[in-house]
Amino acid sequence: MGTMVHTHDNKSMLSQGILIFIYLAILTALEFFVAITFNSVVLLVVVALVKAALVIYYYMHVYKLNLESEVDDASYDFKAGTNRLGLWLFLISDAFVFAGLMVVRINLLGLSRPELNQTLGLAVTTVLLVSSFFMNRGETLMRNGDRQGFLKNIALTFILGLGFLLGVVLVEWRLAIHEGITPSGSTAGAAFFMMTGMHAFHVFTGLILLAIVWINGRRGLYDVKSYPVEAAAVYWHFVDVVWIFFYPALYLIGTAVH
Amino acid sequence: MRNISPVWKGLLLLVIAGAIGYGIGLGLDALISGALNTSGPVGAAFAILFAVTAFFFGIYGYRGITRGLVYQVVGTLLGALLITGIRALMGLDNIFGVYLFSEPAWVVGALVGVVSFLFGVGVVHDWVQWSRGIDTPEHHADEPGWEKYFGVSLDHKVIGIQYTITALVLIAIGGTFAMIFRTELAASQLQFLTTELRLFNQTGPQIYNTLMSLHGIIMIISILLGISGIMNYAVPFLVGAQDMAFPRLNAFAYWVSVPASVLMLLSLVLGGFDTGWTGYPPLSARAPVGMQMFFLGVFTAGWSSILGSLNVIATVVRLRAKGMSAMRLPILVWASVATSIIALTATQLIGLSFQLVMFQRLFGMPFFDAARGGNPVLFQHLFWFYSHPAVYVFVLPGLGVISELLPVFVRKPLFGYRWVAMSSLGIALVGFTVWAHHMFTSGMNEYLRVPFMYSTLLVAVPTGVKFFSWVATMWGGKIETPTPMLFVLGAIIVFLMGGLTGPPNAAIALDLHLHDTYWVVGHFHDTIFGGFVFPFFAAIYYWFPKATGRRMNEFWGKVHFWMMTPSFFVLTLGMMLIGLRGMRRRIVDYDPALGFDFAQLIMTIGGYLIALSVLIFIINLFHSIKHGEKAEGNLWNSRSPEWQVPSPMPVHNYDVPFEVVGEPYDYGLKDSKYVEFSPNGQKHIEFTTEPEVQPHRH
Ligand code: HEM
Ligand SMILES: [Cu+2]
Repeated sequence: MGTMVHTHDNKSMLSQGILIFIYLAILTALEFFVAITFNSVVLLVVVALVKAALVIYYYMHVYKLNLESEVDDASYDFKAGTNRLGLWLFLISDAFVFAGLMVVRINLLGLSRPELNQTLGLAVTTVLLVSSFFMNRGETLMRNGDRQGFLKNIALTFILGLGFLLGVVLVEWRLAIHEGITPSGSTAGAAFFMMTGMHAFHVFTGLILLAIVWINGRRGLYDVKSYPVEAAAVYWHFVDVVWIFFYPALYLIGTAVH
Repeated sequence: MRNISPVWKGLLLLVIAGAIGYGIGLGLDALISGALNTSGPVGAAFAILFAVTAFFFGIYGYRGITRGLVYQVVGTLLGALLITGIRALMGLDNIFGVYLFSEPAWVVGALVGVVSFLFGVGVVHDWVQWSRGIDTPEHHADEPGWEKYFGVSLDHKVIGIQYTITALVLIAIGGTFAMIFRTELAASQLQFLTTELRLFNQTGPQIYNTLMSLHGIIMIISILLGISGIMNYAVPFLVGAQDMAFPRLNAFAYWVSVPASVLMLLSLVLGGFDTGWTGYPPLSARAPVGMQMFFLGVFTAGWSSILGSLNVIATVVRLRAKGMSAMRLPILVWASVATSIIALTATQLIGLSFQLVMFQRLFGMPFFDAARGGNPVLFQHLFWFYSHPAVYVFVLPGLGVISELLPVFVRKPLFGYRWVAMSSLGIALVGFTVWAHHMFTSGMNEYLRVPFMYSTLLVAVPTGVKFFSWVATMWGGKIETPTPMLFVLGAIIVFLMGGLTGPPNAAIALDLHLHDTYWVVGHFHDTIFGGFVFPFFAAIYYWFPKATGRRMNEFWGKVHFWMMTPSFFVLTLGMMLIGLRGMRRRIVDYDPALGFDFAQLIMTIGGYLIALSVLIFIINLFHSIKHGEKAEGNLWNSRSPEWQVPSPMPVHNYDVPFEVVGEPYDYGLKDSKYVEFSPNGQKHIEFTTEPEVQPHRH
């Protein structure tokens, strides 16, 4: 696969990334609007599913998973294909942790939720969403052969991701504790800290991957062989997908109890 | 020192280092508590850590596993000291406790210890290099001889054997524990695990509980490692691959199981735990620190399962030989895939459930604390969502081994190939929907009972398919009975017993009586022996020549079989008998008026005979490595590709690749062919992250 062959493709990939981001932003706004007006659980679930599907298809490009072995097994593409399958299997496994946490939350809290700072919730959600956009852009540029653009976008992703992490752990957690929502105080507090904590841990590992990819990108390690970039991107979007479900589960669904 | 054998050197150092560790632990404990507690936990904990490390040092020197263990010990101590220091700075009291370190300090220490082990043994080395942008050679040449098994190897056959040996070590440890508490059960009243006894801060009955709990979980981990041994060893060469899809991940998955085993041993001395392997809260929320070591040990071992199964699936999907379509895959491969689907996904939920209890203990998060709005039954749902499907993880590979070996020894095609292949997947998928049959008496919502009863009974259908296939395969065949086949036949009969005793448990009305009795203990020992232990032995007897070029001694193999099988029946039928009459499980004593003494004595004797037979097996195994009869060809006259090349197999399995041209199990059919070796048979596979890395060394 030559570097330039896909240039044209990747031009349209760039605009596709923008379009998907706009959809996601609108859906997030819609979600928030639904929550503060007629608060329909069904609708919130549907919106979350649509958002997740968009990210999984367009940003994580799940369609690249190809189970059929291509002919040339010694090729980089073949190995990247195997690695891709491995990563997806890992994500499926990981998803069971988050699904389990969701079950815990539903079982313990039902249609109540902790009373959290809505502005902050929306803010960190937006930051993570925007980071996903830049991640996608960076990945596409790399495939396009534009290393500088790639590095710039990865750096932006990293900064936004760090912003999300600090926003949750330093600001949101502190505010919650200040409001009396503590890990040991109630099941709502326990569920909140456990879910955001597990997610934050994944964001943290994602940041490490981003840092590795950025540093190695600066060293000029990737060109055609950019699977590590794709892997970091897919993992980063996965963390975003988790938040697409956790955000409504913790901030929007049901009624806030104190 | 040069001339004594490494094993003796290891044992010598084990004793010396154990004594030194014991002394250090005792001293530290005395320093902090002001009293000398000679049978206490701290001396014992240090003794274990030092002794295990020194043993491997004696055998192998300071590299590989030894370095891993040294790192683990140092990491554990540093992690614990760090937390202790932080707690001191925070001005908390109870910085130290009866276990020397506080519970949070032990937990963090144990975690740091596990990670340190992985760095020490060297299994993450290449990944660290890659992330720094440095290439590493594709293959590291293994040391010749036995020494390669003590360090990181990327060869799936080496890793398979590492898994198998580790599983056997754990079986020996778990079996020893069982012998101890079985002896106590031989008669009513307390004989030696008395209430006056004090060991590791536990009374005799508490020691009973800890040993019983550890027996359960150590055996379960040994099963998980045992099936990984079979799958790692066999799957790549059965599908015609040179190795697993991700050799480094494969090594990693094996090596995390070693520090996990160390944590299990630590849990014994750090106060133990009395919940059984299920670890239900609220009891597990207040058990001693040993509980946390148990949780962490299972959590760590769980990663072995998850990453190992990821690798199996990727290998089967991507690296099959030419012509090996889905309906020509060996049954063992189908079974491995089905198992791996469960292990990949469900394992996360036992990890999560244990993690939540850990956090409840550490941070007071009230997940399962009913007094503060939590829900203990939620734990059981999360736990059994893994732990029921897990029983199929235990048995599916074994059932695959049965279907794989049976046609070889009856010289007939496997009956109903498609159905058997699909039944593994069927069992795995239906198995996901039955977990609450463990909870009929738990107080969960009653409307859940009946659906779970029916889904449970449904599992009998795909399981029955396998039985029909086995019986029909044997029907009218020329049955030969060398040792592997004996174990296959034993497996079928024992698993039948296990299968038949399952549905009564699933019938709600019956289970209200049967639950938590020895009946259930009898049931699952039958399923596990039939579905794992017998096939595991069969697999070892069968593939031993492939690995070593020699065969195991037939006579002692038969002694092993004929000693183990009747004893096993005595043991489990006895369990069921007294269970039906009301013998509770997980209890150190029983009322003499119940009249169980005689049965319990006979069962204990049966238990000892099983242990003896396994000892014979282990001696036979190690003896045959050097002294067994030579067997370098197609010893069993099998059609499977691995037997068409000389034993032991070359490093990357097939020097000339093969192509699948026929059905795998058409034994006895004229001119039928399964594989054909030709240079263009296999797609060329090299395991590189970078395409231009040098060709590998053969
Ligand atoms: C026809 C198939 C089977 C049925 C219907 C069945 C049903 C059951 C039920 C209902 C229980 C709960 C009993 C109780 O605690 O009251 C149980 C326990 C158990 N079964 Fe099975 N089973 C089947 C096969 C298996 C297999 C293949 C295994 C594999 C190893 C297995 C392993 C176990 C274990 C380990 C327990 C005990 C769990 C515990 O309470 O600690 N079963 N079985
Ligand atoms: Cu079950």
